Amino acid sequence: MPPILCQICKKNVATVHLTEIIKDKKREIHLCEECAGKQKGVAFKSHQFSISDLLSGLVNSQAAQEIAKMSQIKCPICGLSYLDFRQHGRLGCGTDYTVFKEGLMPLLEKIHGGTEHMGKIPTSSGEAREMSKELLELRQALKRAVETEDYEAAAKFRDQIQALEEGRNADA
Amino acid sequence: MQMRDLASSPGEWLKGTGPQSEVVISSRIRLARNLIQFPFLSRATEEQKQRVLDITHGHLAAIDMTKGLTFVNLSETDPLDRSLLVERHLISRELADGDWPRAVAFGQTETMSVMINEEDHLRTQVLRSGLELTDAWHQIDQLDDALEERLDFAFSAQLGYLTACPTNVGTGIRVSVMLHLPALVITREIEKVFQAVSKVNLAVRGLYGEGTQASGDFYQISNQRTLGKSEMQIIENIESVVPRIVEYEKIARTKLLAENRPTLEDRVWRAYGQLRSARTISSEETMHLLSAVRMGINIGLINDLAMATVNQLFIHTQPAHLQELRGEALDADERNVERASYIRSMLNGT
Repeated sequence: MPPILCQICKKNVATVHLTEIIKDKKREIHLCEECAGKQKGVAFKSHQFSISDLLSGLVNSQAAQEIAKMSQIKCPICGLSYLDFRQHGRLGCGTDYTVFKEGLMPLLEKIHGGTEHMGKIPTSSGEAREMSKELLELRQALKRAVETEDYEAAAKFRDQIQALEEGRNADA
Repeated sequence: MQMRDLASSPGEWLKGTGPQSEVVISSRIRLARNLIQFPFLSRATEEQKQRVLDITHGHLAAIDMTKGLTFVNLSETDPLDRSLLVERHLISRELADGDWPRAVAFGQTETMSVMINEEDHLRTQVLRSGLELTDAWHQIDQLDDALEERLDFAFSAQLGYLTACPTNVGTGIRVSVMLHLPALVITREIEKVFQAVSKVNLAVRGLYGEGTQASGDFYQISNQRTLGKSEMQIIENIESVVPRIVEYEKIARTKLLAENRPTLEDRVWRAYGQLRSARTISSEETMHLLSAVRMGINIGLINDLAMATVNQLFIHTQPAHLQELRGEALDADERNVERASYIRSMLNGT
């Protein structure tokens, strides 16, 4: 079988092969080292290069349409636009986490390997505190249930969490 | 407490009396918090930032735990004093160099400090000698509770404490441990440490200098993730890794002593000798020599020098400290001379 050529320059043999899956759509990308480096501005230093770096660079540009769509979104409270955020890496207020949720969630997953708070809860207003404490306990119970493969219990906990979170958002 | 006093007295954490202090210099925990009623720093107006300052100042003065803290308004502080605070690990370089309403409050022992309007509205910090993370956590947790009773922090049930940078959201906690690893650097095993540590989602960086060649052989290990685990889990993660690294370092020290004693002794004594006699010395060289001397004390080669003195030297030979002690501004050459003079006086008692 003849060597696959780089999809960009079509001259060099492709040595970087990536399979990209976004929302159930799979595509294969074949690049030579030079084009992969030039294309996404990723420096190929042997001890620094990591697949995830390259991936995020590629996914970002492939998902350019999504970002373009989100760039139009501005927070009604602080006026920060999603584009501003992507450029400077800083959010403008707490509400941004809700307004830019679609873009932020995958980012949080990538940074932290998780998107749910498991830590301390403010000892603030009694009602908010009770609600939050219950949520935290439910989340921990769900985690344990999944770990012990008790999926029936896990489903129960998940439903309870959803109900609580919906009730919470209705009040917010 | 005046800046002058700060320059001449050592912080508690420098005393070198904490657990595992042969290898672990200090443990640090920091929490990031934002007040709910104002935008984060990047979108807050000058007035809003001032409000954050005033509100926080007021509450800090009223809470029992923080009543004795010295409050320093950094807009009213001159650059040298600000640099002093950076050298003391009480504020970051960013906060020192900023030009917006900002401040820091810290205790006499410098164990506890609160930065106001750095990357987030509030950044509380507890700094302890040696490996003391659980204790540090209890202390900062208490401080956080006390502040929370009076202030409303931006928080969501889903994402936890809301911070300006998504890398801090959730617990808003940064747990770090500063280690002294001269033997592992000599035996070239420091890469192993980097690998072991990155496997459990921790970051390592040389404290002074870039990349793997850390000036003074100091390395800082800290958590990278703040969301999805509880504060205690994050602390336990670091606490499970650090003792192993301490072991590696101790084994490397023993090995060097057994297999290469003359070379090791020479390195240590030559460094000690230079520090005691030099007439002009740079920060870089000071770090390098102090590192060897510190190791020398730990492995029992040097017996007439206290660890607290060495730790103090690391901090007090920095540029702003020297100038503060002298009471005047000094250029680089003058500082090098002053540094050598200060070191001689600390080591020779003259």
